[in-house]
Amino acid sequence: MNVLGLFVRNLMRGPVTDPYPFGPTKTAKRFRGRIEFDAASCEGCKLCERVCPSGAIKFSKDPGGLAFDCWHATCVFCGTCAFYCPTGSIRQTDDWSLAHVASEKFALVEHGLIPNQTCAECGATALDTAPMEGGVKPPLTPEEIATLRPLCPKCRAKFMKARKAKK
Amino acid sequence: MTSPDVPVSAHGVSAHDVAVPETYTIPVGPLHVALEEPMYFKIDVRGETVTSVDINAGHVHRGIEYLATHRSMIQTVVLTERICSLCSASHPEAFAMAAEAIAELEVPSRAKYLRVIAGEVKRLASNLFNVAILAHLTGFETLFMHVMQVREIAQDIKEAVFGNRMDLGAICIGGVRYDLDAEIMMELTKRLDEIAPLVDEIIETYRTNGTILRRTRGVGVLTRDQAIACGVVGPVARASGVVYDVRHAAPYAAYPDLEVAARGLSDGDVWSRAMIRLYEARDAIDIVRQALAKLPAGEIHGDERPDVPPGETIAKVEAPRGELIYYLKTNDGPNPERVKWRVPTFMNWDALRFMLAEAKVADIAIVVNSIDPCISCTER
Repeated sequence: MNVLGLFVRNLMRGPVTDPYPFGPTKTAKRFRGRIEFDAASCEGCKLCERVCPSGAIKFSKDPGGLAFDCWHATCVFCGTCAFYCPTGSIRQTDDWSLAHVASEKFALVEHGLIPNQTCAECGATALDTAPMEGGVKPPLTPEEIATLRPLCPKCRAKFMKARKAKK
Repeated sequence: MTSPDVPVSAHGVSAHDVAVPETYTIPVGPLHVALEEPMYFKIDVRGETVTSVDINAGHVHRGIEYLATHRSMIQTVVLTERICSLCSASHPEAFAMAAEAIAELEVPSRAKYLRVIAGEVKRLASNLFNVAILAHLTGFETLFMHVMQVREIAQDIKEAVFGNRMDLGAICIGGVRYDLDAEIMMELTKRLDEIAPLVDEIIETYRTNGTILRRTRGVGVLTRDQAIACGVVGPVARASGVVYDVRHAAPYAAYPDLEVAARGLSDGDVWSRAMIRLYEARDAIDIVRQALAKLPAGEIHGDERPDVPPGETIAKVEAPRGELIYYLKTNDGPNPERVKWRVPTFMNWDALRFMLAEAKVADIAIVVNSIDPCISCTER
């Protein structure tokens, strides 16, 4: 390599660095960035909390239901939660721009709430989680999922037992 | 009494009366010896020449082996990835291999190839980083910047394929966590085609450039006998004529099906070690290309959360710095009972005593860098 040739080559090509934050920069499509949680599709299995190696994910009881919190300042962006999530309710966005002032560090939290509902069958108060679909044979049909959704865990179990007996 | 040209202190003590020691001890480190990692040497010098070296370790001990016993197997995979960012594909791979051996899991063949791709992309970036630092330490900043810029292509590959520049998150127990689709494979092929001629050009530069040759030929020599006595591994061993590579000696993942060139040089100096790294960076590109061509279809992992029964085993892989050995003992609980790893740098830094013998003070940093020390692996 001729160093002078390299100089000329680099002069012609211009800078290889991006002018970020004053200009745009590229982000890979698959970039594993900030966690995003979708409460509507969550089964409430809490697997993400168990597998999270940094302890960033916490489920807690809330007067309104079950609260999900992912602390971005603790998260190591390993993607283990998204990989093991059976419903794909957790995904990693390509947002990496998480610079913040120290006073905001406790506000950098992805919050979600799985609300309480009244069971359509027995009237008990239970969480409005997505019905568990993993390992169910034959797979649940969309109609069955719609029937299961407003039920409490006990009534869901009853439904599934009846379904198994029928098949 | 005293001759006029011998200096006399304010207290009337003549320079003749002070016993001048034969050697002088200088501290090198713990910061910025070569890389920004803490390594402390107590070096005795006579004039400009090193007479003895004392290595002092333990500045970045974080107790990761202890932490591993307090985390589940799944969490430990991520923890091992963060022991060292430069070998962050090798650590979880060795850990997963150990867990798979205990659980008697068969890794799907597609996953084996994907593991090779992750490991070789990391090797490419890691080796380029080390030779770039060598240029920096010789004061050849232009070459340093250029090699780092070429390495940036490897970083872009990692970001595009795995989603992160250092911690790939590629490995899980029983397989891999990422898959390649047609679009990513095209991007990967395109970037490899871009980086390959640049690496060839860098190899040619390090082979012929006077500045590099004058500072690295015949410096920090480790003879073959010394290499065997110290049990050095990886490029350090191969540069001293000990052609030992886990990928040949005990092929794992998809290596039995791939052609891996056996690299070896006999001089054992700083230059030979740099050249081995450069050749292996170039070989890594070929191995990834082979793996992409042969990549079988199918599953990328087995059962998502496999049960690991009680047992103990060892597993070894060829990390960019050499042979990495993992010992894993499990019990009935969800956490490993004991995890221990022997990292390549642990074997290689002992050889610094031989390499630095009779070295010049100005060469200390170059020689230390030539073993590609990874202190965070070694002191975990």
